[in-house]
Amino acid sequence: MTTYQFFTTAWTWNSIVLIVSALAAVGYFFTFGRRGKPLYFAAALIAFLLAFVSPFSALANGYLFSAHMVQHILLVLVVPALLLLSLPRSFSLSSPLTHPLIGWIAGVGAMWLWHAPTLCNAAATSRAVSVIQTTSLLLMGSLFWWQVLAPSEEQRLSPPAGIIYLFTACTACSVLGIILTFAPVSICKVYEHPVDRLGILSTIRGDWGLTSDRDQQIGGLLMWVPMCAIYAAAILAQMARWHSSPQPKQSNA
Amino acid sequence: MNGTTTIEEFKEAVLDPAKRRHYQLAWLSTVDHKRIGVLYMLTGLVFFIVGGVEALFIRLQLAVPNNHLLHPDTFNKLFTLHGTTMIFLVAMPLLFGFVNYVLPLQIGARDMAFPRLNAFGFWCQPFGGILLHFSILAGGAPAVGWFSYAPLSETPYSSTPGIDYWAIAIFVLGLGTISFAVNTITTVISCRGPGMTMRRLPLFTWMNFINSFLILIALPVLNAGLAMLLIDRQLEGHFFLPFRGGSAVLWQHIFWAFGHPEVYIVVLPAFGMISEMIPVFSRKPIFGYEFVAASTVAIVVLSSLVWGHHMFTVGMGRPMDLFFIITSMLIAIPTGVKVLNWSATMFGGRVRFDVPMLFCIAFLIQFTFAGLTGVSHASAALDWQTKNSYYLVGHFHFVFVGAIVFAMLGALPYWFPKMSGRMMSESLGRWTFWLWVIGFNMTFIIQHVLGLYGMPRRIFTYPDIPGWGWMNMLSTIGVFFMSAGSLVLLWNVAHSLFRGRVAGDNPWNAWTLEWATTSPPPHENFVALPPIHSRRPLWDLANPERPDPVVGDDQVVLPNHNTTGILAFLFSEVGFFGTLILAYLYFYAHPQAGPSARELDVPRTLVFSVCLFASSFTFWRSEVALRKQHRGSMLAWLGLTIVLGAIFLGGQANEYWKLFQSGVDLSTNMFSTSFFTLTGFHGLHVLIGLIVLLIFLWAAWEGDSVSSKFDSAFKSVGYYWHFVDVVWVFVLLTVYILPLMR
Repeated sequence: MTTYQFFTTAWTWNSIVLIVSALAAVGYFFTFGRRGKPLYFAAALIAFLLAFVSPFSALANGYLFSAHMVQHILLVLVVPALLLLSLPRSFSLSSPLTHPLIGWIAGVGAMWLWHAPTLCNAAATSRAVSVIQTTSLLLMGSLFWWQVLAPSEEQRLSPPAGIIYLFTACTACSVLGIILTFAPVSICKVYEHPVDRLGILSTIRGDWGLTSDRDQQIGGLLMWVPMCAIYAAAILAQMARWHSSPQPKQSNA
Repeated sequence: MNGTTTIEEFKEAVLDPAKRRHYQLAWLSTVDHKRIGVLYMLTGLVFFIVGGVEALFIRLQLAVPNNHLLHPDTFNKLFTLHGTTMIFLVAMPLLFGFVNYVLPLQIGARDMAFPRLNAFGFWCQPFGGILLHFSILAGGAPAVGWFSYAPLSETPYSSTPGIDYWAIAIFVLGLGTISFAVNTITTVISCRGPGMTMRRLPLFTWMNFINSFLILIALPVLNAGLAMLLIDRQLEGHFFLPFRGGSAVLWQHIFWAFGHPEVYIVVLPAFGMISEMIPVFSRKPIFGYEFVAASTVAIVVLSSLVWGHHMFTVGMGRPMDLFFIITSMLIAIPTGVKVLNWSATMFGGRVRFDVPMLFCIAFLIQFTFAGLTGVSHASAALDWQTKNSYYLVGHFHFVFVGAIVFAMLGALPYWFPKMSGRMMSESLGRWTFWLWVIGFNMTFIIQHVLGLYGMPRRIFTYPDIPGWGWMNMLSTIGVFFMSAGSLVLLWNVAHSLFRGRVAGDNPWNAWTLEWATTSPPPHENFVALPPIHSRRPLWDLANPERPDPVVGDDQVVLPNHNTTGILAFLFSEVGFFGTLILAYLYFYAHPQAGPSARELDVPRTLVFSVCLFASSFTFWRSEVALRKQHRGSMLAWLGLTIVLGAIFLGGQANEYWKLFQSGVDLSTNMFSTSFFTLTGFHGLHVLIGLIVLLIFLWAAWEGDSVSSKFDSAFKSVGYYWHFVDVVWVFVLLTVYILPLMR
């Protein structure tokens, strides 16, 4: 299969994903109607579909660790953030799960836990584990972002605390990225010798030049660099929030 | 020494033995941030002369082709010393001197948060500098370049003690720098005057505050690397020795993970100076304060992600090159934002071309040029061609001299009136300026061309290739202009100190708080602070009818300085242990024959670990008892904490003993080298913790435990103790538990 054929045919029209997306869209409009921010919601939905319907999904499904990493980043950092941004200002949650420590552990844990070799392999081979993984990533990502992107201002961390929260999370994930980049052994054995279901392996290894160690290196670098860029952008957003917080009414003495 | 100095006073102070002794003591034992600031600058100045003379010899040797003025080995030693001196002993002390003097004044503080720590940090500088240069007498200066690449820096290839002196000197300087950063962070967080909220900080203060975090991120990584290098050289480890299984590239990663942030560590204070001076001499507030402040944060975050661009020629592989190319190009954005903001501040202002402003303008042009050649290095393809050529030498001298030195040359006449009470001479200042601008550009612009013509760096001489001779000669001539400019500057400082025009409190009509007090400031800095509601309190005071808009509310929250300080210190320890753990993992993933982690006695270690973890609990109980004023139970829980900590140490000693008995020591293989280093440094931290706890036990026994000072100090020690336990969690997981999961 050539690269062109692959990108035109390898779309995974997974019925569960489509049904869940449709249900979520219907649910969103029934619950929030016009109060929400549908553009953010649509963006979240597109990112979600990108992760599961586009050829990335086919690659992540047993072929390329780096494609899996793209999926992982979309599910932990991009989709939950966009979802939280799509909620109306009035939306609030009171749950012990919205403690900053829980949020931090969820965000960092989502990265570390699912890259333990056993879990990583299990998620790439078993359908059931994969579903659990997807759900947990979305949940943990939402818990993480809640601290900085909760719809109502009172439920968010103060901007300086938010910066510390994001910076430490960024560091913790970078360390994992560094380990994956420099690891001489395959972390996810599945990707070392893929089962060539689609007949694309020779294109990947040959035309694209992605050997299994280079593939894992790219995966680690994706976790290290672009993910940190997302955190860095969020840190800058916190700075902007801090400097635009409301002026007091008192007069200048 | 209040008020301005006159020559008669000075003579009296030097000639009268009793007075001389008084001044010696007053300056050498000082803990006042202003005097320490001046001492920092004097140290920097002394080493600037040393490093400058080294540079002069380098340029003289290179002035003509086939020159034999210097022995090749001497030349290697000179450029090593020149690089190390200029970065660690000139740029950093000079910048820290300005920060030490100005920052507490700008936020309306009485002094730095920890005056004695401040003195410690300062005295590390001359001590480190003397150690480094003592190597010349002790059998050979280092001759390996300022980044001391392994394996050249290892014993088989550099057997003289020069590298050891180099490593210890940098380690000592690193400790001083870390203590300075801890102090700066704590001062800004805990010692601000009323109304000085974090959003109203002057940009010089803000940038140095943020920069201190970068110091705490970067310096400990270097310190870990230096510790590993010293272990290699002194204890026969082989972290960086390829033929024993070590990795020379690992040293490069560690060095540049520090080395690139280091560029920003010295450039951010310079940015802060420029951000203070340009608005004052343009008679306008800074354009886009928020953007300048936020881009500083962006620089700090990004600068830890770009070190790979120093290693494109190592062969890291295409994926890594690609990612580092992208991040290196990204960091040009926040830097560019700053240049635009400074230019926009001048735009439409009534620009006054006093000497400080002249240096600012030269800074802007030269720094932009340095940034452009910097971006060209971000492209790996170009970097392969120009790396290790004079193009690179030209580039980084544009950053270090064209930007940082010029910023300081401008900041000196700007703040000199505050420090001495007298103005520096304008006409002499202009002489310095033009001599430096001509000399600097003459020396370094041509080096870019030389590099593109193919002249490699670090060669002691070169054949008579067409064009090389006159370009090198031109470059050398420029040095004499800079030397002349420096002599004029020294004369200007000495002359103005006694004969300069009396400055008054605020000679530049500036707006930040340091200009609200007398020149020089009294020992306690301020008699009274003006009201602070915006970023320019003195503008508001002078123009009550049209004050600046109020920024945020007036509420100032000042956390306890003890706990802030210890948390900042522990933040730096994360980088230190993180580096050691990653190095351990690296060698774990490349197993060698001989002892390995699988032979460790895990159950026994678990028992001792439980003791250590339990000690965190007992310490917490001790804190609770202290809060409830139960002296007896507080002493008992504290005693138990110490016993549990001692049991843990005993267990570790026992483990080491057994390993030694079975013939395993630090030099056996990579596992033993990295194992003993990691657990040894942790054990050292436990030991230090135990000593401190014993001191507290003794103090509480003597009955000192009732003051609130004791409370916060006790709490700080607690943070340290818990942190050491948390580090052990990670060590336990990596060293003992990870092999079980195979």
